[in-house]
Amino acid sequence: MATVLSPKDFATATPSWWCAGCGDFGVLAALKQACADLGLQPKDVAFISGIGCSGKISGYLHSYAFHGVHGRALPTATAVKLANKDLTVIVAGGDGDGYAIGAGHFLHAVRRNPNMAYIVMDNQTYGLTKGQSSPTSMLGYKDGTHPQGNPDAPINGLAIALAAGGTFLARGFSSEPKQMTEMIKEAVRHPGFAVVEVMSPCVTFNKINTYKWFKENVYHLDDAPGYDQHDKQKAFATLTAAGKIPLGIFYREVRPTLDALTLGDHPAISSLPIETIDPRLVALQDAYA
Amino acid sequence: MYGRCPFLSPLYGPKGRYLRTVITNNIEVLFGGQAGDGSLTTGDLIATAFKRMGLELYTYKDFPSRIRGGHTNYVIRAGQHRHYGLADYVDAMVAFDLECVERHIQEIRPHGFVIFDNSTEKLTDAVRRPDVTFYEVPLAKIAKEQLGLELVRNTISMGVLAALVGMDPQIVRTLVTKQYERKGEKVVAQNVAAIDAGEQYVREHCTTPSGYDLVARPDGDRLLMMGNDAIGYGALVAGCRFMAGYPITPATDVLEWMARHAPKYGGVVVQAEDELAAINMTIGASFAGVRSMTATSGPGQALMTEGIGLAGVVETPIVVIECARAGPSTGMPTKTEQSNLNHLIFSGHGEIPRVVLAPGTVEESFYLTVAAFNLAEKYQVPVFVLSEQALCQSKETTPRLEFGSVTVDRGKLIRNGGVTFGEYKRFAFSEDGVSPRVIPGVDGGMHLAPGSEHSDGGVITEDATNRRRMMEKRMHKLESMRPELPRPNLLGDPKAAVAFIGYGSNRGPIAETQDRLHADGIATRFLQLRTLWPFPEEEVRAFVHSAAHVFVVENNITGQLERLIRYVTGPLPHMHPVRKYDGRPFRPIEIIDAVKKVLASATSPTEKGASVTPVGPEKTAAGVRSVAR
Repeated sequence: MATVLSPKDFATATPSWWCAGCGDFGVLAALKQACADLGLQPKDVAFISGIGCSGKISGYLHSYAFHGVHGRALPTATAVKLANKDLTVIVAGGDGDGYAIGAGHFLHAVRRNPNMAYIVMDNQTYGLTKGQSSPTSMLGYKDGTHPQGNPDAPINGLAIALAAGGTFLARGFSSEPKQMTEMIKEAVRHPGFAVVEVMSPCVTFNKINTYKWFKENVYHLDDAPGYDQHDKQKAFATLTAAGKIPLGIFYREVRPTLDALTLGDHPAISSLPIETIDPRLVALQDAYA
Repeated sequence: MYGRCPFLSPLYGPKGRYLRTVITNNIEVLFGGQAGDGSLTTGDLIATAFKRMGLELYTYKDFPSRIRGGHTNYVIRAGQHRHYGLADYVDAMVAFDLECVERHIQEIRPHGFVIFDNSTEKLTDAVRRPDVTFYEVPLAKIAKEQLGLELVRNTISMGVLAALVGMDPQIVRTLVTKQYERKGEKVVAQNVAAIDAGEQYVREHCTTPSGYDLVARPDGDRLLMMGNDAIGYGALVAGCRFMAGYPITPATDVLEWMARHAPKYGGVVVQAEDELAAINMTIGASFAGVRSMTATSGPGQALMTEGIGLAGVVETPIVVIECARAGPSTGMPTKTEQSNLNHLIFSGHGEIPRVVLAPGTVEESFYLTVAAFNLAEKYQVPVFVLSEQALCQSKETTPRLEFGSVTVDRGKLIRNGGVTFGEYKRFAFSEDGVSPRVIPGVDGGMHLAPGSEHSDGGVITEDATNRRRMMEKRMHKLESMRPELPRPNLLGDPKAAVAFIGYGSNRGPIAETQDRLHADGIATRFLQLRTLWPFPEEEVRAFVHSAAHVFVVENNITGQLERLIRYVTGPLPHMHPVRKYDGRPFRPIEIIDAVKKVLASATSPTEKGASVTPVGPEKTAAGVRSVAR
């Protein structure tokens, strides 16, 4: 009988490498709370992360964690889910990891719709390499590689995901732990690929998009009367509207998942007994005789 | 071993004039035309017909990197001996257009023959050779006028060839019927009629005998299989139940084979968005406890380099099939080359233990793929299986596969619990460098597997002592695994002064070179390397130093294999490169010429006091051959 766990049961003994005040602490806290609230067991959670400050998070969640190469967390996680569909698969990475070096994989994960949750920890900068522009940095953002200001327009990850066939799209803010926890729980429960983008300020390098800036520039979808999470047109309009940044769940849709389409009712592949050779495999050579 | 040797008997012309000898049960046929005209399908049919007649086969596809148009040809070598490669010359050409004759007429053996479709094009004087017989047959015209379907032109050509070389008419008809029965009775009838028409044309118009004959032997319990199919088959038998890949010539066959078969055994195949995804998926599935692989060729291999480094450091077993083609960059996608060896062994930033296995035959492709999975999982390393276009897309007759010798050894895998959190360390230091590997879902084994350097417990650390120990632990696996690595095959006379080293598709041409040199009184030996990394230093050193002449045969310009050998031997004056890099496999005569040139110019005896040893009377040609597993 599995015992009910608390967020502390999802903590590791590994000391954090993040700066004091980093938005990522809020993400980690919400994630641990969500895992506890969902009644998950650490042994059944596969937590895959990318590279960067955000990618370090896999070391801090008590689970089966994998810290791969930059930008490739999604393909790795997709295969983990296919290999053992009984696992709860959660992926986390930064804006550079998901929207720059891993952008191609992001699109394809969205369209494949594997049953897993993806948390994009967006600090609008490359923190671990000391503050260069990221794909979500604002136009004109000045940094070491753009002393004259960043000339590249920021990317809208959630709008892109919607266009690519996203089935669960949400945005949270690391200063709003309760909302973020609920969002992550919904994302894990969602039967499909759930994207949760979290505004996670970098207190060391991003002096523009600070906690204060966010507090002045966000609003809650929940406050918008009659918002329908199943209205794709409305979701796209909301995500692409100029002005303040909306927080909440933008869109939900249920369509067949990659794991359901490829595995059906078959048992988890990782449980197959491969040590004994199936007699059908011996007979297979008859086709070549 | 394969019954009597090919016999030669005199061939007389129409007026009782002696022409030449008849060659029985030994023929290399080249089918050529434009890509997309169906010559590959007919080639496969003919190959199966030869097999049914009891002959041993090697086929070679020489096709352009396009779907419609462009010269393509399919070469079938059939004989009483298993050769695993092309002969010196083509005996018979079936040319569906003039371009085919123009391109390949110089490859025809003296007294060989050409079947040419003269429906629309005529043979030019420039392509005619007096020592070659030309059968000009209006294949397309017969197809259209007699059978009302131009599509059966290829089948008619099969009838013509069958009649000229004496294929068993019943075998041919049975095969054609089987090939087309899915398309309905009408199509079967049309194709059988096409065979009839081809044979009839020969009876009525071709008065000059071809000089070739076939005498049916028992088919026996043999297989006719393509290298890539053998790789897929080996993987499935070894328990591979996950494959991710991105289509790329000439590796796509493996992905398609697995997509067709793996789901029946509970497996999954994913067509990834690129090779970066494919390799990371392969790693992800393995992390979750499933034997997994990917298959690619040079350009994809370049993209996978990053992921392979990750697999090495997180100690996740994966198998990577590399079906080499001519590079660099896009190179020649459908042509063969051995220029990716350096890449497999040395690519990547940082240092990881890795294994490179190289089958030399279709049969070995099966067994070495099985071995690759066991090595990968037992030592938790990436293992490459290196094939080449001239092997992976070639078919060979091969004995039935033996499953008695196949085992699935999962090494230190923990799937069923018994792990205590806090005590268990995923990357624990051990004598052989291999740590117990637990998979997600097992209680108590929770850990982080990071691509960053880490402690034995998986915690990221840059501690100097830990770093040194971890590097040593991982690299030590290369030593621990040595006794289990596939050993080289030693073919020929172990004491011969003339020696060859090679791997992969060159196994066939080199072994045949040995037979031919033996017939000329020159004894040879051949070390066919099957593990290329970790490099079999001791075997190679001993082999090289005791020879008077060492010929390193490989398909690249820079001598990648020869350099590996020189790493362990130092400079050797008696080492001779035999290299080919035009995208085509060796024909034995090319190696023989290279050897004879060196032997002729060599001042004997050599400084080592060794000279070329003549073949003793007791050593027969059959004794030189040894078919290795």
